[in-house]
Amino acid sequence: MFARRLGPTARLMIWLLAGLSCVVVDVRYQALDGLRSGFSLLLQPVREVTRAPVDVAAELTGFFTRHRLLQKERDALLAEQAQLLVGVNNANELARENAELRALLRLQARPGQQVVHAALLYQGHDWFAQRLTLDQGAGAGLRSGLPVVDADGLVGQVTRVYPGSSEVTLVSSAEQLTPVFVERTGQRGLAAGSGHGQLELRYMPSHTDLRPGDRLMTSGIDRVYPAGIPVATVTRVSRSQSSPYLRVDCLPLAGLDRSRGVLVLIAAPQVTTR
Amino acid sequence: MNVSVHAAGSWRRIFGTLALAVLLEQLPWSGWALIARPDFVLVGVLFWALHQPTRVGFATAFFLGLLADFQDGAVFGQHAIAYVIGVYLVLYLRLRLLQFDPSRQAAQMFPILLGVQFAVLLIGWLAVNPPTGLGILIPVLSSTVLWYLVALFVRLLHGKGAQDRA
Repeated sequence: MFARRLGPTARLMIWLLAGLSCVVVDVRYQALDGLRSGFSLLLQPVREVTRAPVDVAAELTGFFTRHRLLQKERDALLAEQAQLLVGVNNANELARENAELRALLRLQARPGQQVVHAALLYQGHDWFAQRLTLDQGAGAGLRSGLPVVDADGLVGQVTRVYPGSSEVTLVSSAEQLTPVFVERTGQRGLAAGSGHGQLELRYMPSHTDLRPGDRLMTSGIDRVYPAGIPVATVTRVSRSQSSPYLRVDCLPLAGLDRSRGVLVLIAAPQVTTR
Repeated sequence: MNVSVHAAGSWRRIFGTLALAVLLEQLPWSGWALIARPDFVLVGVLFWALHQPTRVGFATAFFLGLLADFQDGAVFGQHAIAYVIGVYLVLYLRLRLLQFDPSRQAAQMFPILLGVQFAVLLIGWLAVNPPTGLGILIPVLSSTVLWYLVALFVRLLHGKGAQDRA
């Protein structure tokens, strides 16, 4: 056969060429998304099956939780609910007032939001960008660019969508940028992932008022993330002689490697455009 | 050893072990287990490239590499190129590798696995982002250990290992 007669070095060269063209086609032209969808259809059932034992174990431990513990948890939840109700009443009042004021100012109402629950299907192992795979995809109305949050804060952004699953690039992934503002001062900035599960607030002039413990929220000026989602807390602020900017290390608030269930926020299409 | 594995290495067995390797990688790994997870598919491919070079070679390595690229969400071709290089190195050193007992064979595999991981690192660096640390080299160690265990298992299975090892 033809292939048999070629030496290993020649065959290596042919395959290397094929591999390099794959890289180029994928990076430059993003032309291999069909192949990705195919693989996702192939592997989705396998992943569902391999996740099952973990889910069953979680269910079982939940089933055997002690009665006492449940009671305690219920009491705590009731107390929390009472507190939240107070907060909700307050918020309703504020929302009404806000709506009136916006009407007065003739501002566009903020688009409503729809939420899709998704569970973690698989955690990717790419060394150059941290990603999660969720068990909801295009079928649930997901599209790339949507923000993903959990109970504590921003998890990341949907970057690839397949029929039954989707990939989320984490907020701490290298070179992932998030426009934020400092909750205490309102100072806007740009948070970039470091790739080590941390974030870095970039381009903050050295006289900026920043302290460890400050919370960063999404500023919403990019029209990707809605404003006011907690992103990270500042852990360390250091000045350097050589750079005009502060070096600000932050820790993401969302449980990037803990949460198993997340929410994808789907902004409803804007109704009025003036 | 080569002869006995040759006789036993049917298509079904090759397919079964490679499918098992892919399945193991699909488990919901997380945290440290994820960082230190050996590359099951790579070890499987290189094992069969060593013992069944006429059946498992560049094409299998390339396809499984693409699969690995998909599941990591990496650039297509990153692992494919690396696995192909791995197969080439194994074929190049094949006669030499087959002479060793499992522990020495694993020691010989270490630089090969390291080379494969360096290829992954280099392609990711050129195509996507600069790397964020040398954690990428941790799986080389675990893959080497896995190779040792697999080689030991195969020896014991074919009844030749007991006195060799003692």
